Amino acid sequence: MRHTPYYFLLPSVLILAFTSLYPICYSVYYSLFNWRWGDEKDFIGLRNYIVLLSDKEFWIIVKNTFVFAFFACFFEILIGVLLAIYIDRIKIGSTIIRTVLLIPLMISGISVTMLFKVMLDNMFGIIPYLLSFIGLKSDFFGSYTAAMPTIIALDVWWQTSFVFIIILAGLKSIPNEPIEAAKIDGASEWEITRYIRLPMIRSLLFLVLIFRSIDTLKVFDIVWGTTAGGPGLATEALQTYAYRVAYSFLEMSKSMTVMVLFSIVVIFLTILYSRLNKDL
Amino acid sequence: MTKIHKYKYLITAYLVSFFAVCFTLLPIIWLFMLSIKSKGETFTKPPKLVFDPTINNYINLWGNDLFKDTFFNSIFITLISIVLSITIALFAAYALKRYQIRFKTAFMQWLLLAYMLPEFLFVLPMFTIYQTIGLYDTYLGMAIIYQVHVLPFSIWMLRSFLEEIPKEIDDAAVIDGCGPLQAIYRIYLPLIIPGIVATAILNGIWVWNELAIALGLTFFDAQPITVGVASFRGYASIDWGGMTGSAIISMIPMVLFAAFAQKHIVKGLTLGSVKG
Repeated sequence: MRHTPYYFLLPSVLILAFTSLYPICYSVYYSLFNWRWGDEKDFIGLRNYIVLLSDKEFWIIVKNTFVFAFFACFFEILIGVLLAIYIDRIKIGSTIIRTVLLIPLMISGISVTMLFKVMLDNMFGIIPYLLSFIGLKSDFFGSYTAAMPTIIALDVWWQTSFVFIIILAGLKSIPNEPIEAAKIDGASEWEITRYIRLPMIRSLLFLVLIFRSIDTLKVFDIVWGTTAGGPGLATEALQTYAYRVAYSFLEMSKSMTVMVLFSIVVIFLTILYSRLNKDL
Repeated sequence: MTKIHKYKYLITAYLVSFFAVCFTLLPIIWLFMLSIKSKGETFTKPPKLVFDPTINNYINLWGNDLFKDTFFNSIFITLISIVLSITIALFAAYALKRYQIRFKTAFMQWLLLAYMLPEFLFVLPMFTIYQTIGLYDTYLGMAIIYQVHVLPFSIWMLRSFLEEIPKEIDDAAVIDGCGPLQAIYRIYLPLIIPGIVATAILNGIWVWNELAIALGLTFFDAQPITVGVASFRGYASIDWGGMTGSAIISMIPMVLFAAFAQKHIVKGLTLGSVKG
């Protein structure tokens, strides 16, 4: 009887060990080799890490990933919170609005890329066609300057509702008394939102920030499905880079080195989150 | 005065939501319209808003065995992943609720880390071991690696649903001579059916939409629908019938979920992330 709980946890522990600990150990171990697919593996110590960290291309990709994550998070949280604040007031029709706004979250990243590829296509897309009337020539996925903002916009369309749904649920759960009290004291709607509602859901805001930032750093589908990292390196992100290094260049060890470094960042952010979450 | 102000606020709220709804729906409606246009009408300028709808693109896709298989592969992978994760998570969640467990915090932290790890980290290690033990390109192999994401999520969800059950019920069960297995099966399982449904739906959505791992660990037999949709992408290709039709087909099951299980999904999303 004394060991019963551990038997119940055992399947979870075994599965998680196989699916999370094993890949981490394997990746760390083989990142110390110079393994190319099909070749012999030779132990080379930390050389992969040294080469990668002194590679200019790698830092461009790191910069891209963080630029993408920063702007995508910024707009998703800004728009999501504003939407939640407004739609929180609506009584009639709020269910249907919420259901519609939930739809993008149900769609796979690759389908999102299809949605926007047909709309933004240079030759046949509707948006370049409409823009041509006001004399604009557009190249959304093909130009150095436009590709990254376009990808960010795709992600904002796709994931803003995650922020919206969680913040809306948070706003709905705020008790009415402090708001009534503030109203009697003559506070405006904006002041109530700024000084009462938002501070009361700050732990949810923090949660949304962490979930969205880790998720946007991990971006893969919408980059791989549209620009595949191009033009040049303009939209290459860490995960698409690791994919390309492994599947196009067959440099397995280098790819795993990228993923190990990236995982360290993700693990750091996750631990930071659980620490700070206790204080909030 | 305040009344006018209130109406102004409400009108702004409706305007904002109107724009948000349009912004969300227009790309999807546009994609759907393209998918029911004939080849000739797809590329006309200006785009035709009135046209003869045709389901040829869908008939072609249904006749395309490669794509049709990916649809059913995804259904099997999704179902196996759900069954695996719910079964295993139910025992873990019960243990976490009912017993004092050493390393409980460490276990919960591990769940969060596993849930957050980047997808491509799993691909190469799993690729080699799956090749060796014969799980490469199989439904079971895919369902197992997906547990790294759906199992932690299921454990949080089921645990928080179990927490809502009062302790008295549990004590009563023990007094009546229920063993832990009987207690789970006879008492808890029926009580948390709504929680299980919400968890299963959210897990299903994640698995159905996953691409990065599937690209690395499937080749032919277990290719899921996301890879099927992706096969129509291509820089020079203008198979818009395939692109639009396949994307719509892959969306339909999940959008139906959104419509009919909206409450479950919202509850699951908020609960799941709050626990995380």
